[in-house]
Amino acid sequence: RQHKQNPGVSSGCQGGCLTCSDYNGCLSCKPRLFIFLERNGMRQMGVCLPSCPSGFYGTRSPDRNTCTKCRPECDSCFNKNLCMRCRAGYYLHLGKCQESCPESLVCSDTQRECV
Amino acid sequence: SLRNGATGQGQSTPAICSSSCSCDEDGGADCSGKGLTTVPTGLSAFTYYLDISMNNITELPAFVFKTFPYLEELRLAGNDLSFIHPDALSGLHQLKVLMLQNNQLKTVPSTAIKNLYSLQSLRLDANHITTVPEDSFEGLQQLRHLWLDDNSLTEVPVGPMRHQANLQALTLALNRITHIPNNAFANLSSLVVLHLHNNRIKEIGESCFTGLENLETLDLNFNNLMTFPEAIQALPKLKELGFHSNDIAAVPEGAFHKNPLLRTIHLYDNPLSFVGTSAFQNLSDLHSLMLRGASMMQEFPCLTGTNNLESLTLTGTKIAAIPVELCEDLKVLRTLDLSYNEIEELPSFQGCLKLQEISLQHNHIQQIDRDTFQGLSALRLLDLSRNEMKTIHRDAFLYLTVLTNLDLSLNSLTSIPTTGLSSLNQLKLTGNLQMKNVFTAKSLPKLRSVSVPYAYQCCAFVGCDSSTSSTDENIKKRRDKKFIEKDVERISMVMHCSPSPGAFKPCEHLLGSWMI
Repeated sequence: RQHKQNPGVSSGCQGGCLTCSDYNGCLSCKPRLFIFLERNGMRQMGVCLPSCPSGFYGTRSPDRNTCTKCRPECDSCFNKNLCMRCRAGYYLHLGKCQESCPESLVCSDTQRECV
Repeated sequence: SLRNGATGQGQSTPAICSSSCSCDEDGGADCSGKGLTTVPTGLSAFTYYLDISMNNITELPAFVFKTFPYLEELRLAGNDLSFIHPDALSGLHQLKVLMLQNNQLKTVPSTAIKNLYSLQSLRLDANHITTVPEDSFEGLQQLRHLWLDDNSLTEVPVGPMRHQANLQALTLALNRITHIPNNAFANLSSLVVLHLHNNRIKEIGESCFTGLENLETLDLNFNNLMTFPEAIQALPKLKELGFHSNDIAAVPEGAFHKNPLLRTIHLYDNPLSFVGTSAFQNLSDLHSLMLRGASMMQEFPCLTGTNNLESLTLTGTKIAAIPVELCEDLKVLRTLDLSYNEIEELPSFQGCLKLQEISLQHNHIQQIDRDTFQGLSALRLLDLSRNEMKTIHRDAFLYLTVLTNLDLSLNSLTSIPTTGLSSLNQLKLTGNLQMKNVFTAKSLPKLRSVSVPYAYQCCAFVGCDSSTSSTDENIKKRRDKKFIEKDVERISMVMHCSPSPGAFKPCEHLLGSWMI
């Protein structure tokens, strides 16, 4: 979704790519960007993003920044165990997605939270 | 779906959009990666999601978002932003998510974000922030997630976070923090996740984690800690703890006795030389324990109460004995790696019914008894190589009906029992130099790969190489006929035997020792 043509990059590489291949897109990213593998039919295309797409969270490390899938019931998460926004039908409470809310709270469908 | 709040009329109206953006009818506008140098104009006032990341916007002037009172998510990542006017974000009272990562900010734009009362997620990672002004997050009472990783902080911003009682997740990873003072996170009672990995943390205050009564994940990996972080005793809800790749030499007695909910502990790549025997007791949620190279460790850790361990790796120690009652505690254990220790005798692993893999290579084991592996009907892999084994009880493998890989190489065996090994696929016997008899595999129907001490022992499996010289032709004719008929059917089944016989390693066992 985010391909920005940089004059300094050879035509084969787009956006934040450091190295790339015609067949698999970005193989490595410029510093501080996250590499994400987009599924394209049978192929996986690497893209370099400033943040991981919805449903994934980013982990930074000195040499590579990667995207990892959140839990299935979570749309957007900080890490594997802390959700920030749940899928429809689930309600967020203290970072977890639940199908119902504790007694003292109410399920809000618009916010998908226990409020 | 269309959100009534955003449009007020409940019908879908064509989205007002800017030429450099693509807009959807929900009020989302994507203007990312378009080479923009300023915030686009001409967008709907009802825009609730605006993505202008990966452009060339280096500054945000005052009131630049005043026409977006309903904005909930604003993405400004990857713009080389170096200056945000104090009034740049004013009016965004419904903003929940603000993404400023991958820019050139040198400090937290505290005045600009002061009045974002609804803000829940603030990303400031991957900038060049060296300072966090005291009042940075003052107005942000709803803040839950804060990214400050991959910056140039040299200390924990204790003051600025003093009032963040709703904060659930904080990352300060990939900075230059060298120590954590006492009470650094004292008021963060809702914090669940704290990442501090890839800093330069050498020492931490004994009560530096006081106040974090809801913390579940603590990541201290890749730092310079010299001593065990005793401060974790203030974390009763801790589930995930990482301090691998530090400089910790000892795990003390009772190290985790105040963290009964621990599920994972990552402590590899530390120069561990001592581990207290009571360190890992009563951790009933712990599924995996990996301890490598605690070279001074002499006693097997006591694991009573840690009864849901599925994987135990304990290698490179001076441990000489395994407790007899090990399997009374570890009933669900699936993989056991006790290689590279000094174990002489094996207890019976009878109670560990779920065991699938056992690695005991590189110890001082001398014999296998009848009940050592009794009852292990799930065992698939058994590595006993590089020990001092002389005898194996004839019924030792009787119950290992699904064992596929057996490595007995580099021992002192003269023979091996094969009863029970009906599923064996790979067998290694190399280096058992006293094992000279011709090896037959009648009771190993599934054998596919075998390595034997001497090449001539492979003749029973693979027949001899056709390129052998004429003199070998005569030797072949004189071979025992009964031997061939019984195994003709079996030979073609075994795919690989080593060392394979050849011109200089003939099949015939010449003059009692083929080496002459």
